[in-house]
Amino acid sequence: MAIAKAERLMNLALCLLGARRPLSKRELRESIEAYLEAGSDDSFNRMFERDKDDLRELGLVIETVESLDGEIGYLARRDSNRLPAITLDAEEAAALGLAAKVWQQARLAGAASGALQKLRAAGLPEDVDPYEAHGALEPRIPVHEAAFEPLMLACRDRRPVVFDYRKASAARPETRHVEPWALECWRGHWYLAGFDRDRGAERVFRLSRITGKVRSRGTGFTAPVPDVVTVRETVASWAGEIADRSARIRLRSGAGYPLRAKASAIRELGDGWDELDIPYGHGLDAWLVEFGPDVVVVEPAELRADVVDRLRAVAKG
Amino acid sequence: MAGKPVRPVNAIDQTRRMLSLVTYLRERPGARIEDVARAFGITEDELVSDLDVLPMCGTSFRGGDLLDIDTDGERIWWHNPAALGAEAAEPLRLAADEATALLVAARAVATLPGLRESDRQALLRATAKVEAAAGEAAGASSRLSVTFESEGGVFADVDRAISERRRLWIRYYSPARDEVTEREIDPIRLVSVGHTYVEAWCRRSEARRTFRLDRVAEIKILDEPSAPPEIELRDLSEALVQPAAEDPEVVVEVGPGGRWVAEYYPHDSADELPDGGLRITLRTPDPASLRRLALRLGRDGRIVEPRDLAASARQAASDALAAYDDATGAAGMADAGGAAGKADVDHAGDTRVGGTSEGGPGAEGFPGAAGSPGVPGASGAAGSPGVPGAPQAVGSSGRAAPEVRGVPAGSGGLDGRYDRQEQGL
Repeated sequence: MAIAKAERLMNLALCLLGARRPLSKRELRESIEAYLEAGSDDSFNRMFERDKDDLRELGLVIETVESLDGEIGYLARRDSNRLPAITLDAEEAAALGLAAKVWQQARLAGAASGALQKLRAAGLPEDVDPYEAHGALEPRIPVHEAAFEPLMLACRDRRPVVFDYRKASAARPETRHVEPWALECWRGHWYLAGFDRDRGAERVFRLSRITGKVRSRGTGFTAPVPDVVTVRETVASWAGEIADRSARIRLRSGAGYPLRAKASAIRELGDGWDELDIPYGHGLDAWLVEFGPDVVVVEPAELRADVVDRLRAVAKG
Repeated sequence: MAGKPVRPVNAIDQTRRMLSLVTYLRERPGARIEDVARAFGITEDELVSDLDVLPMCGTSFRGGDLLDIDTDGERIWWHNPAALGAEAAEPLRLAADEATALLVAARAVATLPGLRESDRQALLRATAKVEAAAGEAAGASSRLSVTFESEGGVFADVDRAISERRRLWIRYYSPARDEVTEREIDPIRLVSVGHTYVEAWCRRSEARRTFRLDRVAEIKILDEPSAPPEIELRDLSEALVQPAAEDPEVVVEVGPGGRWVAEYYPHDSADELPDGGLRITLRTPDPASLRRLALRLGRDGRIVEPRDLAASARQAASDALAAYDDATGAAGMADAGGAAGKADVDHAGDTRVGGTSEGGPGAEGFPGAAGSPGVPGASGAAGSPGVPGAPQAVGSSGRAAPEVRGVPAGSGGLDGRYDRQEQGL
C-alpha cells in the first residue's frame, strides 16, 4: 500500500530540519521510506519536486546549495525557519482564536488553523474560549466563487491571469487579460481590482461573473501596482451608495421604512402620504419601483421618467 | 498502514499540523488528548489519526530515529524526544498563506462596528505582534481584505444583552411585507457574513429567527432575563437559509440584464436562454415576497410562475402608474406622461453590480444567505438606515392592502422554514 502523502512530507521536513548540513537528493531518498518505494528515478524526482514545493507552501525555507563536487544539496536553516519570539496574552490569544475560525474557504481555513497551531506550539495561551471572551460572536468570511483561490494565489505571487468575464448585462462572456492587484470582500461578495491589459486601465471585477477557469500567464506585471487599491469605493459607487443628488418622493404613510431611514427630511402631508427627500444615486429607480404603488417620484424628472419606464415594462408583463 | 485516516484529510493541512504537534508535544509529556485537540482546534479523531502517522516519521526511517509517540487513549507519551533534536523541534515561521489568513481575518473582525473596545484592542495588539513575527510572510496580506457590515449601536446592545442574558425589544423591518413590527427576542448569537445578523428566539412567534441588524429600527435591552429554549445551533457555513423541498416553486425568466438574480437567490436550476438570459427555478415559502423582485426587474425579466404572482406584479405596476397619470391624485404629477418617452435608460451598464434591493424577497422569506446578505446592487437600502430617523406611523398605514398582501410574508425572521409558522397571523 502506498505511503500516505502527509507521512512522506512530514519525513522530508523532519529530515531537512534535523540535519546540520545540506543533504543531497540521494541521501534524502535513502532516508525516506516512501522515496525508496517510489520506483523509478523519474517518479521519485517528480514526487520529490512536488514535495519540496508543498513544504515551501507550508512556510519552510529550503535552500539549494551546490557542493564542491557539483552535487546539489538541500538545507533548511534553523534561523530562517524559526518563528521569532512572540508573546501573546490571554486576550490576544482569544482574539486570534476567533479570527482563525472565520474563513469558510478550505485553503485559508487550513492556513489560519495552521498559523494558530504554530503559535500554540510557540506557547500561545490556550485556556480562553474565544466564544466566551467575545460573547456569542461568529464572524464568517464566505467564499462561494470558484475563481477565488486561483486569483488569491495570482495576487500573492503577482502573476497575470486570463479569464472569461460576463459583464452584468452582457449575453456572452469576453476574455480578459488582467494583472491582479487585490481581492476584497464586501457585503459577502468578492471583487478583484487589477490592471486590464486590453483596456490599458484599472478595472474592478466581480468574481461571481467570471466564467470558466482562471489561467495563469507566466509573464510579470507591466503596469505599476498602486500603493493603495480601493475596491470598495468603486463598488459602492456602482451600488448607488454614493449619491451626488437628492430626489423628492411621496411615500404612503407607514410604508417603506428603509426609504425613511435614508431620508434627509420627512414631511407629513396629512392625506395618508408623506414627502421625503432621499439621496439620489445609481440604482435608486430600481429600488423605488419595488415599493409599487406606495411610492411616487416627484422630482427630478429624470428619475420620474426612469421609474415610469420601469413600471410600464412590468405592467406590460 | 496505520495512518489511514478515518475521514478524508488534506495532506498539506495534516503535515502542517503534525509539524506543530511535535513541537507542542515535546514540551508537554503526558498531554491529554482532549486538551491537545482543543488547543489545535481539531477533533480527537483527527488528533488520533495524526498520532497514528507520527510513529512512521523521523529524521530517518533507519536506526531507530523514528518518533516513538503513542497514546493510551487518554494521554500522549513520547518515549524518545531526543530522536528530534531540540533545534529541529522549534516552532516554525509562519507561511505567507498562514499569515495572510490570520491577519486578514483579524483585521476584518477588528473593523466590526459595535465590537467591544477591549476586544478590538486585543485584536489590534495581536495583529501587530503576528505581523512582526511573520516578517516578510505578512507582505501579501494587504492584497486581501474583508469588510463586515454592522450597525454599531444595535450590535453593541445585542452583544451586551447576550453577555448579560437579557431579553431585547426591537422594532424590525420586514422587506417582504414592507412593514415594521415590534417583538421581544431572546438573543443567542451574532453572526457576521458580510452583513451582521442576530440569531434569536422570538417570543411572539415562539420560533428561532434571524434578524439583520441594519433592519432593526429600534432596540431596547429589557430587564427581563433572556430564556431561549435549548436549540441546536445550525451550521451557518453554507447559507443562513436553504429553501425547503416542499416550498412552492417560482419560475423567473430574465434577460442578460437580470442575470444577477441567479447570483442573489439560491435556486434549483438556471438554464441558459438563447438571448443570453436565464430561466431560473427557485423555491420560497413565500412566493408573494417575490413581487418586489418582479417590480425591480422591469424589462430585465418577469415572473413566469406562479401566474397569480405575475399578475399581482403587473397590477401593482399599473396601480403605481396611475399616480403618474392622474394630475389631481398625487399632486403635481401633471407631466408624468412625458416620462414614458424615455425608454432606453439603462443603468445596468458595464459597471452595474446588479442586485436586488436589500428588501428583495431575498431578504426575508428568502434570504438566500449566500446571496442576499450582500446585495450591493441596491442602494444599501436597508444598508444604512440609522436607527434614529425611524418611521413614524408604523402600523397605522391606512392603505388598502392589495390582494397580494393577503398572503402573509415571512415574519421578521430570516429563515423561511421557521417563518412559515407565522403565516396566517
